[in-house]
Amino acid sequence: MVTKVLCVAEKPSIAKAVANHLAGGQVQTRNVQGNPYVKNYEFSYNFPTWGQCSVTMTSVLGHLTSHEFDPQYKSWRSCDPSALFEARIDTIVEDDKKPVAENIKRQAAYNKVLYIWTDCDREGENIGTEIRSVATQGNQSFRQPGNTVRARFSNIERAHIINAARSPVQLDEAQSNAVSARIELDLRIGASFTRNLTMSLQPMLQQRSGEDRSQVISYGSCQFPTLGFVVERYIRVRNFVPETLWGIKVMHEKDRIKVNFNWARGHLFDRMAVIILFERCLTAKTARVTKVQTKPTSKWKPLPLTTVELQKCGSRFLRLDSQRVMQVAEQLYQKGWISYPRTETDQFDRGMDLRALVQKQTQGGPWTQFAQDLMNGGFSQPRSGRNNDKAHPPIHPVNFVVPASLSQEEQRVHEFVVRRFLACCSQDARGSKTEISILYGSEIFNTSGLVVLEQNYLDVYPYDKWTSSQDLPDFREGEVFEPTEARMNEGQTSPPGYLTEPELIALMDANGIGTDATMAEHIAKIKDRDYVQTRPRARQQRQQGEEEEYEPAEAAEPDAGAGRGRGRGRARARGGRGGGAGRGGGATTGVQEFIPTTLGVALVEGYENMGFETSLTKPFLRKEMELRMKAICEGRKTKAEVVHESIEQYRDVYIRTQQRLDSLRAVTGTLVGTPGQNGILVSGTE
Amino acid sequence: MASGNGTGNAEEVTASISAFLAAKHVPPTQAWMTAFISTIRLNTPIVALQKTALFRLLATDITTSTTKSAASCFATNITDPQVKERQVRGPITVQLLDVEDIGRSRWSQVEAIEAQERGETTKGREVIRVVPDDNGPDAATQNESKSSGPHKLLLQDANGLHVYAMELTSINGVGVQMAVGAKLVLKDFIVARGLILLEPRNVEMLGGKVDAWDRKWKEDRKKVLKEKAGVREGGG
Repeated sequence: MVTKVLCVAEKPSIAKAVANHLAGGQVQTRNVQGNPYVKNYEFSYNFPTWGQCSVTMTSVLGHLTSHEFDPQYKSWRSCDPSALFEARIDTIVEDDKKPVAENIKRQAAYNKVLYIWTDCDREGENIGTEIRSVATQGNQSFRQPGNTVRARFSNIERAHIINAARSPVQLDEAQSNAVSARIELDLRIGASFTRNLTMSLQPMLQQRSGEDRSQVISYGSCQFPTLGFVVERYIRVRNFVPETLWGIKVMHEKDRIKVNFNWARGHLFDRMAVIILFERCLTAKTARVTKVQTKPTSKWKPLPLTTVELQKCGSRFLRLDSQRVMQVAEQLYQKGWISYPRTETDQFDRGMDLRALVQKQTQGGPWTQFAQDLMNGGFSQPRSGRNNDKAHPPIHPVNFVVPASLSQEEQRVHEFVVRRFLACCSQDARGSKTEISILYGSEIFNTSGLVVLEQNYLDVYPYDKWTSSQDLPDFREGEVFEPTEARMNEGQTSPPGYLTEPELIALMDANGIGTDATMAEHIAKIKDRDYVQTRPRARQQRQQGEEEEYEPAEAAEPDAGAGRGRGRGRARARGGRGGGAGRGGGATTGVQEFIPTTLGVALVEGYENMGFETSLTKPFLRKEMELRMKAICEGRKTKAEVVHESIEQYRDVYIRTQQRLDSLRAVTGTLVGTPGQNGILVSGTE
Repeated sequence: MASGNGTGNAEEVTASISAFLAAKHVPPTQAWMTAFISTIRLNTPIVALQKTALFRLLATDITTSTTKSAASCFATNITDPQVKERQVRGPITVQLLDVEDIGRSRWSQVEAIEAQERGETTKGREVIRVVPDDNGPDAATQNESKSSGPHKLLLQDANGLHVYAMELTSINGVGVQMAVGAKLVLKDFIVARGLILLEPRNVEMLGGKVDAWDRKWKEDRKKVLKEKAGVREGGG
């Protein structure tokens, strides 16, 4: 008796790919009534667990069910928003998903085993349980453990999929529950606060702006802290007061080389003190060399690639915002070129055959030679970071693909992933660093020289910079000399820049808000809701000593590996829109920065003014929620506990907000000022 | 002289305590001693009385509570900027009136205070604002808000003379967390153009504080830093 297995993937493309891998091409495709995207693939396969099987593989289109409040609460005027903390939530299948659900139910009746093939992350686990509950309506036996199983896979490469198919596991209820908790909390808290805020502020805003369009002020427990970071930085920049600072510069010419020595104190903010110290240097007349040290140094190759890192680099180097980077990465994953792009893991499992992956990249692309060199003995085990989500490996290329067959954006992302991977498998760059210290008067001055001896990983990874400094002349310890030039100089502190996307991502990550999967979405949301706007960073706000950044090639020229000088030596004008010298097209110069709108600022300031306990714009409430999610996954807390705890916390804030609503109105009123002003804060030039 | 368990003789106790305090470089005035003796039980063990006396004296304004002599005070022309350098033996006892971190911009110090006021330094409420880079063994994490010092101190001797001093190298206990009114003993130090230059070997920290001054200093700190930074407070 042939066992019948029903496989369900998260997306049609995955279903198709998996079906073809398992069936070796012998697949019958059937349409699904009511939906043109979802297909049923029929084939035979011999699973070790059940023997020869007749398989139907289909998919859903992301979440199958959605959650809504009981219809009596639907209208905003039907209840006090705080009632939503307790209101009943219904699980429903939206109209556009009904054919998909029907298909599952129908197929379920014919099959003995339900095999879930959703993506292996928390959301996927949750979708898996949704599929199971819908399928169970068509076939009660799926409820029994053993009749529903799950595949564990990290990419769509053939051997990997076949391996995964042969070792099914159980659905992780804990992870699914964590997502359920999150969905419920986002719904309750989001809806109640959104209604409350909107109803409280809308009349006043409408009056002020004179617009007919009623504006919804949407609240999300992650959006607000994200907005909080943007506004805070904005205010810091606006409030910044430049201060004068003083330093001492020493230059000595030896062997016809001009050596600049840096003051160990850097600079001080007291003029008198610096003058006095400077005079004592001059009085001493000579300087004595106190330390000459030459030692090997290295620039570490990068860590294996995580989602957060991909988003940051996407912003910095690829000129794609985080949301776009993830969309493109997702496409590359579905096509089977890279591994699952949502991962926190920055260490490669020791058992993984990385050489085989490097071997695949010798088939073509601008990195062919480099990959070949790695195979010929240059290979080195990647560094290990400290994170392992135990679900997926770091993002890496899974197969070789001819770059030209990908779209422009896919090429950029794909190239980055490949280069990063190859860089991980190479050696650190090596150099030799000489450090010299001198004592001049009572003050210490330092200088250093760097000689880059081996580029190693830098040859394939142009996104990092490391170059030799000028040669240093010979100095001996104990040597005494009279410096060629010593002078005092004056400067000013300069303001930080507005937040860029990589910085914002780093802050969200460091403060525990959003998971790797959701950070890009939160950023996209605050843009959508008109809480912030983006604009290209016009002036180069570079810190002293920082090197120039990598810029991607503009033209269709795929060979980005040639000529390390690509990133350097490009004259960047200070002030005005520099960069892009000689490169065609009106391309923006690098990173985008975030500017809050007046509404965004008003909301944050309004909440700040209400005091510390109500601070929805600070990360800690959300961070605590994320930690509780984790606790559910790890079995330390139940979904009910977490929902209860978080609701209580937010309810508390809700009540306090109510009490101080006047204060919020006052600030919003002032900032979203006169009629006609549309909420855009910064116009044109500074 | 005075025995271990206190003979109860006011004169002897006074003399013993005065000598002890003088040896600590804070010789009390007669008036102060008289007032002190009136508050104690004479048969308390002398060591305890000495400790109490020191503790109380360190909480006073030394311009009124200690005796002055030419040797224990600054020369009146010590702040003369025309004098390139002079050596002073001391020991000279001073009290701290103000302390500044001149290695950091005032504005960044204001921001740090505001972050603390917003509760961001309390456990569980921390907000991380600077994310370090992973760049290799030579990575220089330029973190301005972390730097401390050097510090510039405003000191006052028993005569009431104000003099500025600066740390040449970091001295243990010197920083913006110091209490205002704390006492220090300086010896064998250099004065350059009226600015005292201090290294650890020049300084003995006696401690203490003057409550009223310290409180006021803390209250005014943010405002003072803002003024120094050049912020013009709004309004007219």
